[in-house]
Amino acid sequence: MEALANLLHGFTLAISPYNLFIALLGVVLGVVIGVLPGLGGTSGVAILLPLTFVMPPASAIVFLSCIYWGALFGGAITSILFSIPGEPWSVATMFDGHPLAKQGRAGTALAAAFIPGFFAAMISVLLFTFFAPPLAEIALRFGPPENFAVLLLAFSTFAGLGRGSPAKTLASAAIGFLLASVGLDIVTGRPRMTFGSITMLSGFSFITASIGLFGIGEILASSEEALEFKGVQGKVRIRDIWEVLRALGRNAVTFVTGTLLGFWIGVMPGTGATPASFMSYGIAKQYSKHPEKFGTGVVEGVIATESAAHAAGIGALLPMITLGIPGSPTAAVILGGLYIWGLQPGPALFLEQKDFVWGLIASMYIGNVIGVLLCLFLVPVFALILKVPAPILTPMIVLFSAIGAYAVNNTTLDVWLLLVFGLVGYVFKKLDYPLAPLVVAMVLGDITEEALRQSLILSDGSLLIFFTRPIAAGFMVTSLVLFFLPALLPLLARIRGRVAPQKA
Amino acid sequence: MRRAEILCAAALLLVAAVALREALRLSIGWGDIGPRGGFFPFWLGVILAGSSLFTLIQGLRQPRTPQPFLRQEALRPVLTVLLPIAGAVLLIEVVGFYLTALLYLLGYMRWTGRHTWTTTLLIGLLFPVIIFFVFERWFLVPLPKGLLEAYHPF
Repeated sequence: MEALANLLHGFTLAISPYNLFIALLGVVLGVVIGVLPGLGGTSGVAILLPLTFVMPPASAIVFLSCIYWGALFGGAITSILFSIPGEPWSVATMFDGHPLAKQGRAGTALAAAFIPGFFAAMISVLLFTFFAPPLAEIALRFGPPENFAVLLLAFSTFAGLGRGSPAKTLASAAIGFLLASVGLDIVTGRPRMTFGSITMLSGFSFITASIGLFGIGEILASSEEALEFKGVQGKVRIRDIWEVLRALGRNAVTFVTGTLLGFWIGVMPGTGATPASFMSYGIAKQYSKHPEKFGTGVVEGVIATESAAHAAGIGALLPMITLGIPGSPTAAVILGGLYIWGLQPGPALFLEQKDFVWGLIASMYIGNVIGVLLCLFLVPVFALILKVPAPILTPMIVLFSAIGAYAVNNTTLDVWLLLVFGLVGYVFKKLDYPLAPLVVAMVLGDITEEALRQSLILSDGSLLIFFTRPIAAGFMVTSLVLFFLPALLPLLARIRGRVAPQKA
Repeated sequence: MRRAEILCAAALLLVAAVALREALRLSIGWGDIGPRGGFFPFWLGVILAGSSLFTLIQGLRQPRTPQPFLRQEALRPVLTVLLPIAGAVLLIEVVGFYLTALLYLLGYMRWTGRHTWTTTLLIGLLFPVIIFFVFERWFLVPLPKGLLEAYHPF
């Protein structure tokens, strides 16, 4: 078991006092980000990314991924106690979590979020530990055509599985790619799309874009409704933990389904924890013996959403570390960090940066242990954050966002861009343009273009190269099917509908 | 909502047009080393133009909806958040981060939050100080000082 030996080595790195401290700091900040409704995991990670510039890469990745784990735990607190989603992925947790809390069973609801979330994360890390190395080994044999096909698959899942208009998804991704192409031509090194401006030579930073779109945009959008944090007090007692463990035993099927589904959705590029939690809730309700009780405060409703969300969070890092493709928008920002730290994401990491990869995997175990312990025992402390009035929180989040944007290139131009991206994010959010494809496209723009151009050089300009190589062809066909799925489904339904009346 | 939808799609169409012009200027053909610089942006421009045209036409064919983009009563709260943000961005350019943080917090807390002067001053002064030690000292992230660069005591 080479993986086990590597994992042990990873643990020896991860439990160094410095890395343990970084992990703890990351989880605490993550929970705070998760609890705050105006600040999401994606923009939160982007804001804190500049802090990692002084860290060695192995600690930097521990920091960022621990923020992600913390945010996954934290979102549930706000959803359950305040009936306001702290994170998009905890919306579904609210359905049953808040009714439970209102019945005076807040402790049970919270424990039902944390404990299954933790176990789901552990199972997913195990899957991760043993799936990642072989997957990376396969990916090592990929050439430019395969890489491009995988990247295309990432964007097709957005269009195919995402809710909302495919035209808007496509537009959002295209804008992201266009923004990424501003600056120097990656192949020839000549300036392009800069319109003669020198400041535009360095291009647009995905950090500024993600903080603006997700952070400032969210603040503007949520300012329309004056949010009032009228919450329920909640504390997890030992009794609640026992109750949830017993409930977990009774609902083992829901839990396992949620975990495996979540992991799979997380691995699928571009989706992440939010759709995973909704889908898991839907399935749990559909196959429940008492579906009518869902929404009134059933423990298994919380178990279903939280196990899927946490599993998806871990799953989202699998394609990131093995293929260089983020499984979720938050993973996209972390992936962007890898480029900044001077690492080339992708399968070669498993050969050249063993410390980095296995340190990350070991910290997934450690970060989730820290996360569940902190949340179980410190819920009342974290809930206090929501007692801070909005007029104090809003300027602080804005100021942190400004620091995050400025620190990328040390120019105030990025602070102005932050405002522009914030306005765009607000408008897009109101008009239902998905933001995730834009950010993912900005991060992946250069490598996508490089893969496409190199493939075309290999084939002398023929697009057939993507269909004559078996692995690439497989990915291409899958992505085409996924892309046209929204168009195909109504068509299929219509055909079926037409057949059915004829039978009758 | 319908008008906003149409305007947004039209704006994106304009972005696509700019991108296409720039791509054509860079030439989209086949060069010495494969496709030229304009090749990738060109096809993105085409995709963006196509998808926004689709949204535009869909918007035009849609019946007028009574639901506005921004409700009348929501305008005020959005502006009370947006304008101070814009002001802070401008201030960062001029007087740097630390003074902006102080002024922004003071102004926002005092006038939108109606907090007492004691709370306002305490947080307004403490926040920049903490930021200074965490970012500038601990994580070595220098923050903008604006035109006051020379006058900063540290």
